[in-house]
Amino acid sequence: MDTLLATLVSGLVLGSLYALMASGLSLVWTTLGVFNFAHGALMMVGAFIAWTVSEAVGAGPVAGVVAGTLGAGLIGIVIERLVIRPFYASRNMLLVTAMTTLAVTIILERGAQMIWGPRLKQLPPLVDGEIRLFGNAISAHEALLLVAAPVILIALWRFTVSSKIGRSLRAVGQNQDSAALIGVDVPKAFALAFAISAALAGLTGALLGSIRFITPAMGSEPLTKAMIVVIFGGLGSLGSTAGAAYLIGFIEAFLVLWVGLYWTPFALFLLMILVLLLRPNGIFGKR
Amino acid sequence: MTPLLDVKDVQAGYGDMRVLHGLSLHIGAEESIGLFGPNGHGKTTLLKTISSLVRPTAGSITFDGIDITGRKPPAIVEAGLIHAPQGNTLFGNMRIAETLELAAFSKRASNGAQKRLDEVYALFPRLAERKTQLAKTLSGGERQMLSIGCALMCAPRLLMLDEPTLGLSPRLKEELGAAIGEISKSGVPLIVVEQDIEFLLSHRPAISGGAWRRRARDRPRERARP
Ligand SMILES: Nc1ncnc2c1ncn2[C@@H]1O[C@H](COP(=O)(O)OP(=O)(O)OP(=O)(O)O)[C@@H](O)[C@H]1O
Ligand SMILES: [Mg+2]
Repeated sequence: MDTLLATLVSGLVLGSLYALMASGLSLVWTTLGVFNFAHGALMMVGAFIAWTVSEAVGAGPVAGVVAGTLGAGLIGIVIERLVIRPFYASRNMLLVTAMTTLAVTIILERGAQMIWGPRLKQLPPLVDGEIRLFGNAISAHEALLLVAAPVILIALWRFTVSSKIGRSLRAVGQNQDSAALIGVDVPKAFALAFAISAALAGLTGALLGSIRFITPAMGSEPLTKAMIVVIFGGLGSLGSTAGAAYLIGFIEAFLVLWVGLYWTPFALFLLMILVLLLRPNGIFGKR
Repeated sequence: MTPLLDVKDVQAGYGDMRVLHGLSLHIGAEESIGLFGPNGHGKTTLLKTISSLVRPTAGSITFDGIDITGRKPPAIVEAGLIHAPQGNTLFGNMRIAETLELAAFSKRASNGAQKRLDEVYALFPRLAERKTQLAKTLSGGERQMLSIGCALMCAPRLLMLDEPTLGLSPRLKEELGAAIGEISKSGVPLIVVEQDIEFLLSHRPAISGGAWRRRARDRPRERARP
């Protein structure tokens, strides 16, 4: 019983992380039709910026998280402008931007290595102490993550459903020309979607930075997971992406319990392939 | 009197293929015109060039005395020059009410948006009955209504409709024709692209606020009053 509850809690933590990562990836996909392979690297940059502001500058972890979020968002705008926007009209936009965003990943990872060096870094938790959840002790920082993820996701969802700007992002994703003809600035909408997505990645990194070590390569595993989540969820709405994120979080936690840490990534991929064989449009996608 | 819209010697196309070879056209503030011609002769391209979805390679476009050649689409919408595209599916995963509200996106259009929304629902009661229906599930006729409704939400000072009755049954055509007549009567000048000349002519009395000019495609510059 205890292991079951502990596994559930660990699944919830993983699910929250994946939901934050994947919602940004999914926002860029639904608005621009692009898969941003630099999403994991943006997360890593967010963590490093947070570390610099919090530890090197000494402004504290809260300022660090804010700086990591905003910094990653700004870098996202630059990435969109430099390596995505020139290819809007290209017929092979999806393939070309896959390459350019992979290139950005390499640049960011090498750059981080040069700037911050090889020493492992970690952020202090945003809140100290422990909290008991279902009889399990988890750090207050993880508990904060559990609460923050749904709040942020719901805020993002309300934004895209109710606000004028948020609706215009959805409109651009569904029909660029029609959006332009009602007065939406399509390139601006793309830049905004990319900025929000990058900021979410940076926030995830800054929050993760006190749970795991901050290294130049720390983004690659969460990126893989976020991609699995987005494809699992059916490459569609925020709701199905979030649902898939928590589902994968739980599955992963249980796989760790059953097959061990070593085989979990393999089992997860196997499961994804099986799901896609049976439901080509993802777990929540329409047949 | 300066024309409301003045298109001068415009050349435009896609890549190396030129579709408009120096086309000129003008329309006054009090008139509406119909455009017709065979398929593939560039009617849609002309409207896209005016609304800046396609950039002209030569020539100039002036709206209300202001040169709008090569301006971005949002600036043109802000000026009140509105284009309801051909065969439009709009935003498939948005509901009717949501789409119409969003269509009042420009600063100009956000003033009095509620009043215009009521007017659109009064003009197309079918849309009012289906406010929460997704656009992708609408019938062809309802989509055209939504498309025109969206254009009206943009607070047009000049409205360009690209084949608003494409593929509709005669009865629906009548219904839409009447609605277009209403729009014209409310004082909005129209440019209507239509294959069905009979349809245009049958609504002539309703559409023509002032002169009703017939204009063939770009090269033959004949202008005949029916
Ligand atoms: N996006 C595009 N890329 C390349 N060529 C295009 C594009 N859109 C249209 N064309 C070509 O430009 C020419 C003019 O097309 P256009 O759509 O303007 O004609 P149209 O008069 O509106 O025809 P219809 O009555 O069938 O709507 C056609 O030969 C068409 O194939
Ligand atoms: Mg056409």
